[in-house]
Amino acid sequence: MRALLCILLICFGTTCLAQDPIQLIGRNTGKKLLSDGNEIRTFGFAQEIGENPGVPGPSLEVIEGDSVVIDFWNISQGAPHTIHLHGLDVDQQNDGVPHLSFEVHHMEHGFYRFKAPHPGTYLYHCHVVSSIHVQAGMFGLLIVRPAVGDNYTWEGGYNYWYESSLLMSEIDTNWHHDSVLLHDYDTNMSHHHVRIPKYKPQHFLINGLAEQQLDDLTIRGVNDGNLYLRLSNIGYFGNRIIFPSGLNARVIDSDGRPLPVEEVTDTLEILPGERYGVLAAPDSAFMDKVIVQYFNLNTGIVLNEQYVNVNIEDAAGIKESSKEVVRIYPNPATSSLTVEVGLQEAEIQIVDSQGRLILETSVTGSESFDIRNLPSGAYILSSRTALGIENHPFIKP
Amino acid sequence: MFKAILCRLIILWSAFVGCDARAQEVFQRLYINSGEYTAVDSAQFPFSAFNATPQFFPENVRISINAGETLKVRVVNNDSVNHAFQIKDKTTQVGIAPGDSILVTAVFDTGDEVFIYHDPMDYPRLTALGLAGLIHVKSNSNSTFYWNVKEFQKEWATQHALGNPVNWSDYYPDYFTINGRSNPNINNDAVARIVGGVGETLRVVIANTGQSIHSLHFHGYHAEIIYSSENSQHEGRSKDTFPIKPMESLILEIVPDKPGEYPVHDHNLVAVSAGGIYPNGMFLTMLIQ
Repeated sequence: MRALLCILLICFGTTCLAQDPIQLIGRNTGKKLLSDGNEIRTFGFAQEIGENPGVPGPSLEVIEGDSVVIDFWNISQGAPHTIHLHGLDVDQQNDGVPHLSFEVHHMEHGFYRFKAPHPGTYLYHCHVVSSIHVQAGMFGLLIVRPAVGDNYTWEGGYNYWYESSLLMSEIDTNWHHDSVLLHDYDTNMSHHHVRIPKYKPQHFLINGLAEQQLDDLTIRGVNDGNLYLRLSNIGYFGNRIIFPSGLNARVIDSDGRPLPVEEVTDTLEILPGERYGVLAAPDSAFMDKVIVQYFNLNTGIVLNEQYVNVNIEDAAGIKESSKEVVRIYPNPATSSLTVEVGLQEAEIQIVDSQGRLILETSVTGSESFDIRNLPSGAYILSSRTALGIENHPFIKP
Repeated sequence: MFKAILCRLIILWSAFVGCDARAQEVFQRLYINSGEYTAVDSAQFPFSAFNATPQFFPENVRISINAGETLKVRVVNNDSVNHAFQIKDKTTQVGIAPGDSILVTAVFDTGDEVFIYHDPMDYPRLTALGLAGLIHVKSNSNSTFYWNVKEFQKEWATQHALGNPVNWSDYYPDYFTINGRSNPNINNDAVARIVGGVGETLRVVIANTGQSIHSLHFHGYHAEIIYSSENSQHEGRSKDTFPIKPMESLILEIVPDKPGEYPVHDHNLVAVSAGGIYPNGMFLTMLIQ
């Protein structure tokens, strides 16, 4: 009887801990519109069959302690693909390195299992002929959120009001020709000798965007609350991030671990594969830009700069509207999100965790929005009424 | 009787002033040799190295001493052109004519440090040609592995050997090595390949004697930065990716929590190639049992 109870408890416990698999679909027929208007072929990850695989792929979010399963479905002829869980220190079988783990071939499913260890910012990317497949676009962010709550860096760490993620990379369009992308591959070999072209990128990206495409990307915050920046580099150049002095930025974590000694700085270098967490504590409202420089690792020469808008608003408006005018539900929201603004007219914006503007509209009374096509992740709905500004985080599971 | 009292007085005095009367002197002979490097794809190009014998070998001597020891290095110029010798951040540059030799003495008081010795003449030409190695000042007996990280631009090696200038703003290396080897040969180097057990404290001593910045990513485990020659404020950080700039050195400590074979590689993924061929570059695996 006691044994049966134990088995039931174990089964129940397992069920509680297990999460629904995260679906990722590997494609090699992606198209990416560059800032100069040209379109290139990409490889990438999507979450729906008909979806163009984005560069970067969808940001994945899991909770510390979760038992995570990624169901990777490869729908792409040619070389197989894998998922390397960069920085998560998973076991060898789930590490995504072809000859040490497993490859996922066309129309196969591969299941990657891990327990989300430390809260922090990680990456995932294909590790098959990684020089080519990462450049091709097969990468994305993986965020492990702390069990103590979404708006904390980690248990015992910092609380923050706003969060933005910047994932840097570059594109050399010469690497996106079929002659490079569709390389030979012999599954029976542990080392697949593949020729790679010289790397001379022409496009320098933040979250897949560059130049005027970045106009819609804004780092938002308020002047009396912390703002947490997740900064990562998956390119083959170095990045130098220059923060506006008003952000009062300090580096608090790297590669998924808190720093033993925080570093107050207005300039941070991020090399390929690194991730940093930066806590900003602005003390005044301002609008400025974060500068992202891209420097050649062989020469140290800065080849390009990109700019990300920073908009720090006055929290007084928010404080004045301590009685919330806007209400959203349900949260988490799977298929629709209802926004109620009472008698007020509200300008609302929905931004994703990378600061990308998803929706901008005005609402009077009550309105429901279809969010079935919204990728899984964390979002913020900001509303502006005559009574002030409100921010409502919500989750799309 | 008098001799015994004198010895005891010396020991007491030594303890008082904080030095070790038993401090050892370590002698090392280095020959500057020139020859041909044969890369993983059989490409050949000029290479010079500090070797322990007058015979050329395309790998620089690794010097390991204990904290408090004095290093005496006799450097013999076995080449037909002028050279120089310096221990970076430790000694001054001394020229050496062909066939001549010099004696350099340096005291290493502090453990867990790494110094780069090299030929600083016409910097970085001769260092880039290969003339740079590392000195590890030990403080313990942990299993330690050594990586002399260096990249080359094949077409430039001949120019370096001939003494011709190159435009470093156009530098585009095409061979990426650890201890003079590229993937898959790095795994054959017992000094480089990390092999250990779960729970064991393993250390990796790394010196970047090339001219590019490298970003070394570890699969499977985070490692702690025990020493950083250029950024002491980074010491104590636990990371999986470690940038290392030219002429910088690091000591990392790993305590594996699980068995497995995991890659370590440059995450500038262009550097995982040799002569433009993937994956013959800066890539090896560690084996934890």
